[in-house]
Amino acid sequence: MSRLGLLVHVFGAALVVALLAIPLHARQQRAARAVLDAPVSATVARLPSGDFALSGSGRHLRHISLAEPGAAFADVVAGPDGDPAGGALAPPRDTFPEATP
Amino acid sequence: MKSPHLALVGFAATSLLRRKARTLTLVVGLAASVALLASVFFVTGALRDEARRVRGAAPDLVVQKLVGGRPSVLDPSLAPTIARIPGVKQVVPRVWGYLFLASIQSNVAVVGSSSRGPLALSAGRDLQVGERGTCVLGKELADTLGLRLGDHLIFPLPGHRAADSVVVGLFSSDVSLYTSDVALVADEDARLILGVPRESAVDLAVELTNPDESQVAARKLGELFPGARVVEKRVLDRTLALVYGRRAGFVLGASLPALLALFVLAWDRAAGLAPSERREIAILKACGWSTSDVLRVKLYEAFVVAFAGGALGIVLAYLWSFPFGAPGLREVLSGWAVLYPRTHLVPSVDGAQVLSVLALVTAPFLALSVGPAWRAAGVDPLEALREG
Repeated sequence: MSRLGLLVHVFGAALVVALLAIPLHARQQRAARAVLDAPVSATVARLPSGDFALSGSGRHLRHISLAEPGAAFADVVAGPDGDPAGGALAPPRDTFPEATP
Repeated sequence: MKSPHLALVGFAATSLLRRKARTLTLVVGLAASVALLASVFFVTGALRDEARRVRGAAPDLVVQKLVGGRPSVLDPSLAPTIARIPGVKQVVPRVWGYLFLASIQSNVAVVGSSSRGPLALSAGRDLQVGERGTCVLGKELADTLGLRLGDHLIFPLPGHRAADSVVVGLFSSDVSLYTSDVALVADEDARLILGVPRESAVDLAVELTNPDESQVAARKLGELFPGARVVEKRVLDRTLALVYGRRAGFVLGASLPALLALFVLAWDRAAGLAPSERREIAILKACGWSTSDVLRVKLYEAFVVAFAGGALGIVLAYLWSFPFGAPGLREVLSGWAVLYPRTHLVPSVDGAQVLSVLALVTAPFLALSVGPAWRAAGVDPLEALREG
């Protein structure tokens, strides 16, 4: 077998092993996270909602599930904006109103 | 003796190695497309899983008062009336809101600690009952402000006043996804900072004895308080499942032309036989290979390319999504924030999903290869050899 052929065989075997390892690694990660489920849930129970600390473009505010029903693009409860690019691009922070000191 | 099938697979592999550049181009192109597709599935699945994980912690119903279509403060004396509704276990008036901090150009979620329960902390302690002038901060908020335990956070108040708060605890990074911008303070401190009157609450969190009766309870609440907005957890669960799928759909829709272009390229590649390939097939048939043998070799070639590209793409997608946190993609799928939570997502991938993605790529690739493979197998050896 040529060197290239050997390399391809090794690469192919490594690929198959990596593919098989993915679900096993994912399961191990989930098991490790499950240990933290109770304290995480207890912490979230003291917050206004279980929404992520992230915003959509339409409203620029957190707790999207409790946001104003009349806000632009909030066409569904807990719905972030329909335009995923709005999630990727934050509004220009220079335009944020400055609080009165 | 070696199995004939294995021999044909080996011949197909050798044949691919003889056309290294073309094979590598197809495998790499396929891997890149699969990596993008699979990453969208993996990250969306992880976000959905994370949202589902804490759904149980949210109240069954949240009651808000609307004035002019906007949430306004409400009278907490409604709580005992609501508590008397059959099926209602507990009603908790809550004080929370947003405070814009000009120094970091970001909103901070100021949350009054109305209920008790353990907190996931990386340092310090929880607020004590009746204690004022203290706070527990989210990790990203504390890091951005450069605050540690024992430091003072000055909350700006209207009228050139300020509220001084000592940092007594820091949320763990395990809950950063929910607390990166949170400042947990005593209820009375939250009222002072947010300007919520003493006799008011921002909303009411309602727990039911049977969460399946939330629709009935919500309807009853709507009849009792016509100006109220009742948000059901049941509706949120259903909407979240749809919402992340919709965002993933947008991204996949934008990526589809790239994948289609790759399939067209692969079909175009397979459709036209190079003169060297025609001569090779002619020699094989002249040596006694049957049409079905040639067909099998061509299909094995397509399978090896599709499997290699698909498997490599899935492995790259997994590495990109989880150890590296899917930079560039995660923000599109989950949202943005000034105080961005840096929690690593936990994969919700299982063997069935991996096989599904692999099949999703391999099957169309093989299907596209059938026609050209059939044409290749039908080459007349005498004609092909005469063409030289």
